[in-house]
Amino acid sequence: MTMRIIRAGLQTSVQDLGRSGSMRYGVPRGGAADPVAMQLANLLLGNPPGNPVLEVTLDGPSIEFQCDISIAIVGAQFDLALNGEPVECDRVLQIESGDRLTFGRLLSGARAYIALAGQMKLPAIFGSHSTSIIAGFGGLCGRAIEKGDAIEILEARTVDHRRLEGEYRLRYTRHPQLRVVTGAEENHFGREAIDHFYSQTYQVTAQSNRMGIRLAGDALRRGNQSQVVSSGLCPGTVQIPPDGRPIISFIEGQTIGGYPRIAHVISADLHLLGQLQANDRLDFTPVSVAQAHKILEVKSGLLERLMAEFPGNDN
Amino acid sequence: MKSSFAIVANGDSALDIRFDASPSLELSERIIALAQAVEAQRWEGVGDLIPAYQCLTVCYNPLNCNNSDLTNRLESLTRQQLRQPPKLDRKPRLIRVPVCYDAEFAPDMREVSEHTGLSAEQIIARHCAPDYLVHMLGFTPGFLYLGGLDPQLHCPRKATPELRVPAGAVGIGGSQTGIYPQVTPGGWQIIGRTPVQLFRPQSETPFIAEPLDKIEFFPVDRDAFECFQQDSLEITPLESAP
Repeated sequence: MTMRIIRAGLQTSVQDLGRSGSMRYGVPRGGAADPVAMQLANLLLGNPPGNPVLEVTLDGPSIEFQCDISIAIVGAQFDLALNGEPVECDRVLQIESGDRLTFGRLLSGARAYIALAGQMKLPAIFGSHSTSIIAGFGGLCGRAIEKGDAIEILEARTVDHRRLEGEYRLRYTRHPQLRVVTGAEENHFGREAIDHFYSQTYQVTAQSNRMGIRLAGDALRRGNQSQVVSSGLCPGTVQIPPDGRPIISFIEGQTIGGYPRIAHVISADLHLLGQLQANDRLDFTPVSVAQAHKILEVKSGLLERLMAEFPGNDN
Repeated sequence: MKSSFAIVANGDSALDIRFDASPSLELSERIIALAQAVEAQRWEGVGDLIPAYQCLTVCYNPLNCNNSDLTNRLESLTRQQLRQPPKLDRKPRLIRVPVCYDAEFAPDMREVSEHTGLSAEQIIARHCAPDYLVHMLGFTPGFLYLGGLDPQLHCPRKATPELRVPAGAVGIGGSQTGIYPQVTPGGWQIIGRTPVQLFRPQSETPFIAEPLDKIEFFPVDRDAFECFQQDSLEITPLESAP
């Protein structure tokens, strides 16, 4: 009852919904870069939404299953094949022992999630199976999976066919609008710099990863009071370092930061960061904290509704 | 301690309780005691707490924790805490950290020497003299923010950070000194290396210190560096002030 990695892809790693309570030790929450896609994949299989999955990044893996099992792939769109025959994402796929799943060309987005109707046999660290690639712990030996790895699957099962429909079929644009709330140090910037931040279109650079997303664009001028005493830094925070180009802290970002924070991507839009690839463009749109919470309620409501529609397969 | 504070939004899912006072032992005791008090409330939806020099970040889940209710509760809890001396639920400890300052581990000793006008021996003596206060952990897993570096050792960061600083590297950056827990890029001037692992995710004690503990560096030779075992780390209770 294992899955064998024939080809690893660029960065394929075990992820779940991450850790809680460890940021005070410098250990970021981690977990899936796009938790919405990841939870949808699990819900298709009747899994708990946070069941550990494989996160596929830009260039996907090739995997041979040595058990009968249902799986689901949600997130970035790839050309997918099972034993060379094209298959679709956003639905339950029935795998028979000996089948080989192959990721081909990336069509949109950046990360896809492979959920399994079963459990990968791996230890939990700080209550999570997520791989911290930067700090080297969690998941499979604290690293991305490699060619030749074999992951044992416990309680592999098959489930009834289901598919995602309508608004649950996530599609990603290469020019998203990210909604943000006012930064904790917005007053470190002049009116002109703030206007410039909201009016320009930024470009995602190749120096972006699970730690942070670095943007290219016109440099912002920082005010005189640019010295900030280091304090707690949360995912989604947009910091302006001395070169004036924003860095968005992400799920494996530092837990303490010392650059002025001009804005914070709202919780409801954080999952969109997980689907950005180099050269994508993005704009920042300001909303109030109250609006941000309303948007989060609506998005979470969608997931809850699906959970009710797709009950768990566990008895 | 008289101190004013403000509660400020840190995004849409965290609040910062910021104190209007300079970083100090007293302020860090206040912030750690406050973090423990918040934790003891077990409020629904409150998650990570991140103490820092002048600020406690309280993360919350907006889906089951109302922002303005939480602000009000934090405000009254902080006021109540400020009316009494900080109550801490653990006694701070002194942790003695061996550092090998041999040339092969100290690529930037000459730079620090030129900047400070001190010899390597003087730099080592001054670096080992203080008991450094752990204000907080953060940045990367297990990194300790230490207070108390001798002002004579202050030294600017490198203009261009190194791409790869080894785990255990001991450095000086501006007015701070510290140990790199993992192999990372870094811009501090490296003057030594410790065999102590600052982050052991598989261990029952993944971190060597907690906030308010103190760290003392002591010089060791290459043999002692090689032979060091983590379970021989010297940890003693800090004497309470007379």
